[in-house]
Amino acid sequence: MRIPKPNPIWFFLSPALFLIIVFYVVPLFFSIYISFTPLQNWNLARYLDQISLENYERLFYMAMNDPDVTKVVKTTIVFVTITLIFNVLGGLILALSMFFMDESLSLPYRLIWILPRMTPIAVYSLIWYYFFLGDESGTLNSLLLRLGVIEKPLAWGNSPELLPESAWAIIILVNGLVGVSFGMVVFYSALRSLPREHVIAARVEGASAFQMTRYVLVPQLKWHIIYVTVWQLLSLITTYAHIFLLVQWGAIDKWWGSPWALYVFNTAFTTSDQGFAAAAAVILVVIGGILGILVLRLMGFKKLMQEPKGEL
Amino acid sequence: MVEVRLERVSKRFGRVVAVNNVNLQFPDGKFSALLGPSGSGKSTILYLIAGIYKPTLGKILFGDRDVTELPPKDRNVGLVFQNYALYPHMTVYDNIAFPLRLKKIDENAINDKVNNVSKLLRIQDLLERYPHQLSGGQQQRVALARALVKEPEVLLLDEPLSNLDALLRLTIRAEIKRLQQKLEITAIHVTHDQAEAMSMADYIAVIDRGSVQQVGSPWEVYNKPRNLFVATFMGSPPSNVLPGRIVRENGIWIDVGGSMVKPPERMVELLRESELDDVIVAFRPEHASIVKEPEEGYISIPAEVFVTEPLGRESIVTAMVGGSSVKVLMPPEAEFKPGESVYIQIQPDKLMLFDPITELNIEVARPGKS
Repeated sequence: MRIPKPNPIWFFLSPALFLIIVFYVVPLFFSIYISFTPLQNWNLARYLDQISLENYERLFYMAMNDPDVTKVVKTTIVFVTITLIFNVLGGLILALSMFFMDESLSLPYRLIWILPRMTPIAVYSLIWYYFFLGDESGTLNSLLLRLGVIEKPLAWGNSPELLPESAWAIIILVNGLVGVSFGMVVFYSALRSLPREHVIAARVEGASAFQMTRYVLVPQLKWHIIYVTVWQLLSLITTYAHIFLLVQWGAIDKWWGSPWALYVFNTAFTTSDQGFAAAAAVILVVIGGILGILVLRLMGFKKLMQEPKGEL
Repeated sequence: MVEVRLERVSKRFGRVVAVNNVNLQFPDGKFSALLGPSGSGKSTILYLIAGIYKPTLGKILFGDRDVTELPPKDRNVGLVFQNYALYPHMTVYDNIAFPLRLKKIDENAINDKVNNVSKLLRIQDLLERYPHQLSGGQQQRVALARALVKEPEVLLLDEPLSNLDALLRLTIRAEIKRLQQKLEITAIHVTHDQAEAMSMADYIAVIDRGSVQQVGSPWEVYNKPRNLFVATFMGSPPSNVLPGRIVRENGIWIDVGGSMVKPPERMVELLRESELDDVIVAFRPEHASIVKEPEEGYISIPAEVFVTEPLGRESIVTAMVGGSSVKVLMPPEAEFKPGESVYIQIQPDKLMLFDPITELNIEVARPGKS
């Protein structure tokens, strides 16, 4: 009698699968469950059997009527959209400029742009905290005062006459400078792996650097652009670490500087309303999922995922 | 069409000298080959002509026009690569039209030109396809069409046949040659394959270590190699090389692996003048034969058979002379056993002698003539 051979797929998948189930799938379903309960103060024993849609109703009502939550919604849309464009386009421009650059120049250049990502979050945020500090000791204020552009120091992230644009500009800049290096690295390595004959041929055929970029290089980066866009979109929707510190230290307005992810975090961990926070988080995941799929559809992801050549 | 001339051109990459003081002329409307092993600098020379590299020293001229400082797009050259370098995201039509679109030519004129060149290369039926839907030979035809569509003055070919399989290579080889003759374009073909260079080119420039070793017609380069490198690079199998010592007693003799050889009459005077002590004896595999007993009128060297390789049309017999191996082409019916004692019999008029220090052919490269 032959013992049936176990499928090797499970052998290879099991370590990753175990981690994913324990740390992603279980918490995910648990969060969804919590979002239907009025859980407060992590009192799991008391609230978990009261199932209702109340959190979602409240959330929807607040997003429409609560002025603070409305600010969060607007901030999220502006922050994600502009930072995403900044990251993808900026990464592409940086990668292209490095591609046309001499190797001896491009290495230090690359290093400078990766620095924000290498710097610990708290240190990096602190630099920006002091840069935008509201009194005359802030870097930006002291610079502009010295140059005579302004007469008295401005509270860049808080001053009512500058909000909301100034707070948005700060969080977009702080996150954008971290995120832009991701696209840069992906695009640059993709450009470097193109056959160099393509570049030589285009030059011989008379293409300027712009024409080469437009007609030869960027079209061949299509899949990389899709990948970076989706990846950055999903991570921007859920990012809050730098912004959390800047808000916490008072560098930016609490509401005009809070994207949805930070709002979820603050609701869950600084107030006692975990059921409500879970509902907010579920909404975020659903919107993230929909947007991700939408982008993949728009950009033709199906063509990327081809049938494997040969059998697995 | 135009003649291409390199005057004292050198190219350094950091401390590496890739091209060293090269003087070359590629005649107008002719097919020239740059032949050399990999790393010899032949592709660098091609890229210098295309303008991808700027020479460190020297001048490059197209006819009377000094193009040394011109960017590639102002030189009007067509370039074809070993890996075709077609743009994968464009159809065949768009690939061919690309150089014309860059010039912002009217779309109707582009259409005419693309159709004409496609007819010339017989790829009219492939215009709607993408490069990955084509075979290697078709891709190379498209690459040729893209290079030719803007009617360049010079066609540069960088190992265009090396990625093709052996049979296809013969077909495309003939096609490129036919095309070049029809268009009467100045073509420069880089290759490491001496058979390819011999069969296609009107002129061959043999390149090694960044320097020109010899320039001449295929016949000259094959039969009158200027130095040892050319002799041992050309031919398949290449020339045989044996070390010899000159003995000046009772006239002039050459000691090859212990046996005394009388050099042909035309070389005696040259050897007497040269004051050489050693000499390198060379001959081509097809200019010798293997016999059991030496015959009159030939140069005979005793040898021992090592192995026989039958190739159908002929056999290659490897024999040992002293410590060196010698390959001789024999008719397919020739049979020799390993270890058999035989004589290698060389046609005296085909014997070549090289100076072991300068490696120059003592007949071709006289002092003052290069």
